[in-house]
Amino acid sequence: MLKIDQLISGYGSVQILNGANMKVEKQSIVALLGGNGTGKSTILRAASGLIRSWKGTIEFNGEQIQNLPAHEIVGRGLVQVTQGKDVFPAMSVTENLKLGGFILKSKQQLSDNLEKVYNYFPRLNERKDQLAATLSGGELQMLCIGRGLMSNPKMIMLDEPSAALAPQIVLDIFKNINRIRQDGLTVLVVEQNVRMALLLADYGYVIKDGVINVEGDSKKLMYDESVKESYLGGTKANV
Amino acid sequence: MFNKLRIGKKGENIIFGTFVLLYIGWCVNSPDMNIESLKSVLTIGLSVGIIYGLVALGISLIYTGLDVVNFSHGEFFMIGAFAGLTMFNLLGNQDWIFNIFPDAYGWIIYVVCLFTAFVSMGLFGVFIERVFLRPLTKKGGGYTVAGMGIIICGFGLSVVLINVAYLIWNPVAKPFPAELGLPMEIGGLFLPITYIWMIVVGLSVAAGLWFFLNKTKMGLGIRAVAYSKDVSNLVGINVPLYISIIFGIACAIAGIGGTLVGPTYQVVVFMGYIILMKAFAAAVVGGFGNLPGAIVGGFTVGIFETASSFYISGSHKDLYAFLLMIVVLMIKPTGFFGVQVKMKA
Repeated sequence: MLKIDQLISGYGSVQILNGANMKVEKQSIVALLGGNGTGKSTILRAASGLIRSWKGTIEFNGEQIQNLPAHEIVGRGLVQVTQGKDVFPAMSVTENLKLGGFILKSKQQLSDNLEKVYNYFPRLNERKDQLAATLSGGELQMLCIGRGLMSNPKMIMLDEPSAALAPQIVLDIFKNINRIRQDGLTVLVVEQNVRMALLLADYGYVIKDGVINVEGDSKKLMYDESVKESYLGGTKANV
Repeated sequence: MFNKLRIGKKGENIIFGTFVLLYIGWCVNSPDMNIESLKSVLTIGLSVGIIYGLVALGISLIYTGLDVVNFSHGEFFMIGAFAGLTMFNLLGNQDWIFNIFPDAYGWIIYVVCLFTAFVSMGLFGVFIERVFLRPLTKKGGGYTVAGMGIIICGFGLSVVLINVAYLIWNPVAKPFPAELGLPMEIGGLFLPITYIWMIVVGLSVAAGLWFFLNKTKMGLGIRAVAYSKDVSNLVGINVPLYISIIFGIACAIAGIGGTLVGPTYQVVVFMGYIILMKAFAAAVVGGFGNLPGAIVGGFTVGIFETASSFYISGSHKDLYAFLLMIVVLMIKPTGFFGVQVKMKA
C-alpha cells in the first residue's frame, strides 16, 4: 500500500533521513520504532507532504506521491494523525471532527462519518459540544484519531499515539487502533513505547540515524537482541 | 512597568478604569461640554471609528492568517477609495441609470461603487499576495512566519503603491460627490447622510464577515488555517489558496472602507498612511488578532479621538489615538479582548 524507497529528506539544510526504505502491506499494522531524533516523524511528514522529499520515492496505491501538496495526499486517502495535542482548542469537538472531513463533498457522508467516529470513541460523543481545550490528554488523542478517520482514509499514520498518556488509556487507544484495522484500514504507528507497539503491530521497522536498522515480524523483533538492548530496557546504552 | 508589579488581571482593570474615569471627568469639566456636542462627538466618533475598525479588521485577519503585520494595508484602503471614485465617475454621467431609477439613483450608484471597491481590491490583494508575498513566505519555510523580510516588503509595497497611485491619479485631492440625499435629523442633530452610511455599511460588513467565518465551510477552513497551517494541511485544506483568500478578504474590506470615507472627506493619494497607523492603534486597543476586538477598538479609538479633540484640544487630533495605544499597552498589554487560546497542558 505504502512503499518508501531510498527516501532522503530533512529540515532546511539539515538532512535527517539518509535513504530509508519501508513497505506497508494492505490492512496491516506496521510499527515504526526508534529513539529521539532518529527520523521517525520526518518519514511521516515527508509522506504526508508537510516537508519536501529531496530524493527517493514514496508510492501510495501504486502512484508516486512524493512532493505533492499536502491536501492532495489527504484526498488520495493517506492521512497523518499528528502527535497528541494538535487540535483546534477554540473550536468544539464536533467542529474539530467536521474539519477532519473537510474534503468530503456531501453532508450526508459527513454525518455518517461523524456517527462512525462517535461509535469508535463514545467519550467524544459525551463531550461533543465542549471546546477542545477542555479535554483531557486521552480524549485529545481520541479526537485526533477521530479527526483523521473523518475523511474516509485508506490508510492512517499515527505519530506517537501513546505519548504522555496513562497506561490504561494507551491500552484503550491501541484496542481502538486494532478495531480500525479490522474495519479495513491500513495503519502505520510511530512509537517510542516499543513493547506496546510491537504487541499491536504485525510488522516492525526500527529506524536509526535516518536509515532502517532492523526490520521483521513483530514477534521476532520483540526477542531480537539488538532491539532489546537499545529500546526494550536493556541495561546497555546504544551509543 | 506594570508587569513587574504583578498586579494581575483585576489590578489591570482597576487601573485602566481609573484612567477612564479621570478622562471622563476631564471631558465633563470642559467648558464645551453639553448634550449637543456630546451627540456630535458620538456620531462622528462612531463613523470614523468604524472605518478604523474595518482597516483594523483586515490587519488582524492578515495577522492571524500569515503571522505578519501588513504595513501596506493603508494603501489598499487608498486604492479602494480610488477604485470606488473611478466607478463613480464612469457611472455619474450615464443618463439611463437616472431614467430607470429617478428617485434612488444616487445611492444605487454608490452601492455599485462600494461593490466595485470590494471586488477589485479583493482581486488586487490576491494578486499582490501571490506575486510579492508568496515567494517570501515560501522562503521562510512553509507559509508561516517569514519574519522581518515580509514586514520590510510591506513597507516597500506601501511606498510603491503610493507612487503608482500618484502617477495614475496625481496628488490633488479629489471630491467624491455621491448624491445620497439630504442630511438626516436624529435627536435635534443634522447629520450628513454619509455618516449613517459609514456606520450602517461598516457594521454590516463586519457582521457579514462574522457570519462568513463562523457559519460557512470556507470560514471554518480559514479559522483552521489561522490556528495552525500544519494541522490544516493534514485535514486536506489547500493552505496556500486559503492564505490568498484571507489576504484578499482583508484587502476587500479595506477597499470598502476607502469608498465609505470618500464622500465625507476627500480622496487623496496620501490618505492611507494615517489610517493605517490609527487602525494599528485600534487593533492593539481591541487585542491584536481578535476580530470583534478590532471593531470595538476602532470605535474606542474613534470616540476617544473625537472627544479629545472636542474637549481637550483640537490642534493635536492625530496624537490621541497613539496616546490611547500607549496607555493600553502599558496597562493592558493584551488589549480589551486579547487572543484567548486556552490549552490544558
